[in-house]
Amino acid sequence: MTPLTHYLIFSALLFCIGFAGAMMRRNAILVLIGIELMLNAANLNFIAFWRYGNTEAISGVMFTIFSIAIAAAEAAVGLALVIAIYRHRRTMQMDKFDTLKG
Amino acid sequence: MHLEWLRLLAPETIVVVTALIVLMADLTLFRQKPITFRAAVAGMIATLGCLIAIFWLEELSVSQKLGMLSLSPLTQMIKQAILALTIFTALISFSAKFTRHIGEYFALLLVATVGLLFLISSENLLMIFVSLELLSLSLYAMVAFNKASLASSEAALKYFLFGGMAAAFTLYGISLIYGLTGSLELPEIATKLSAQTATPALFLALVMTLIGFAFKLAAAPFHLWAPDAYQGAPTQIASFIASGSKIGSFFVLARILAVGFPQNTGSAAFCSWTSGWAPILALLAVISMLLGNIVAIMQSSVKRLLAYSAIAHGGYALLAFFGTGTRAMSALMFYVITYAITVLGAFAVVAMVENGSNREQMRDFAGLSRRAPVLSACMAVFMLSLAGIPPLAGFFGKFYVFTVALSGPQNLGLLWLVIVAISASAISLYYYLQVLKQIYVADVPAHPAPLDTNVIARGAIVVLAAAVVLMGCLPGPTLEKLATAMAKSIF
Repeated sequence: MTPLTHYLIFSALLFCIGFAGAMMRRNAILVLIGIELMLNAANLNFIAFWRYGNTEAISGVMFTIFSIAIAAAEAAVGLALVIAIYRHRRTMQMDKFDTLKG
Repeated sequence: MHLEWLRLLAPETIVVVTALIVLMADLTLFRQKPITFRAAVAGMIATLGCLIAIFWLEELSVSQKLGMLSLSPLTQMIKQAILALTIFTALISFSAKFTRHIGEYFALLLVATVGLLFLISSENLLMIFVSLELLSLSLYAMVAFNKASLASSEAALKYFLFGGMAAAFTLYGISLIYGLTGSLELPEIATKLSAQTATPALFLALVMTLIGFAFKLAAAPFHLWAPDAYQGAPTQIASFIASGSKIGSFFVLARILAVGFPQNTGSAAFCSWTSGWAPILALLAVISMLLGNIVAIMQSSVKRLLAYSAIAHGGYALLAFFGTGTRAMSALMFYVITYAITVLGAFAVVAMVENGSNREQMRDFAGLSRRAPVLSACMAVFMLSLAGIPPLAGFFGKFYVFTVALSGPQNLGLLWLVIVAISASAISLYYYLQVLKQIYVADVPAHPAPLDTNVIARGAIVVLAAAVVLMGCLPGPTLEKLATAMAKSIF
């Protein structure tokens, strides 16, 4: 069986890629995708820890199922917000959103 | 048994049902009615639902574990405070002019409240995460509620993207905690952790979880969303984010750290740092207090000024985490509750002045005392209380928090932190007085914009101001109530 550390290293990489994407991308939708990657890295952790720990206690799997549902809801709200701002600005570039500052 | 569960969870159920009733009534019965009438009816229903929930909570002063939740007199009391703040938010929304979707607005407000209520009851990381997201997702949508305003959607998008990132950090942190302990229940986590030595992985987990909460509390350097969200959001919603949601986040953070990680405190005492959560919180507190207060001085928008002041106040409140036992907890709760009441009132006054427009700059308050003496007097009370002037509630809140920080296990080692806090608080007096200077000293402009004259909203503001004065002059009853609730709780 693949050792647990491999899964953890993979999920840490996934998290870092997601974080880098969220920080560096200028397009709001790509930032959203970066955030989804970060959430999925955490989900992967839960499943790995559950599989290598006590498989009788299913709280790890439960958490993953809940967090997938939450991520879906979050994506729905996020896309709605992107559409709301697109109606005003006709762009999705984050650096163009500069009405609020001070 | 299930009936018993339903009885214990009745307050939450009542609020959910109220949200559905508000939505349905507005979309079916009152669809054709004028907007002010619809807002009044929806606000009344929401107020009624919250009142019933408050009275129900009065009956439920039991300490009981309920699946993933853990109820106690303390959680019931905090829930009452949050419901009361929701009521005031609903009352100042009676004259809301920023939207035609009244039903959805009040329904979302109530759903966010339900998220807060569950957040306060939960002692399980899964439940905490789910209710935190319920709260956050409702708030993102509410910030974007003014569809005609670009600022509103921009604020919501920024709030959402920062919030999503923070949630991902928290989730990753929780997953590591789960991996280290194999449990999601806070008390169980504490027992498992006491049996093992602290590893770097544990601190990584702790830091990542804390980042998520620091975002929620708008503690610097995770505050970037706060000024934009407060300024862009409709003022009524900004007031809710600053008040109700603040209480919930502080309470749950205190619970996670005190119940889940009592062994990993570490020390933030001067020159004797040891790793744990205390030094991290000390760092957050110092940056928040200094940055919040100094940047607030440069603001010309009153809502933005209140946002930076909120960041600073988050920093003061973090000081209570360094104390131990019930005294620290009651100091924290007293501080956060009085702050929530004050800031809600201040935002309500701003809402009255801007009256549906976006004019909430300092100069729009010029000469307010001649045009609306009562409103101005209330604003003076709120501003002075935020600054921490003695007979008002804000002073006692700060006083208790600072003494608790010094009486903790590290004793006078934390003196440096309290000194920073007191000097930061002295700086803050400057910008609060700037607002009052505009109101009382500056001349009335030639053609001032009309004020909002809604009687109910004005009444609510006066009640809030009275509460601030009363809790300042007589802090005893509130503190006593907190202490008795605390003594009867498992917490």
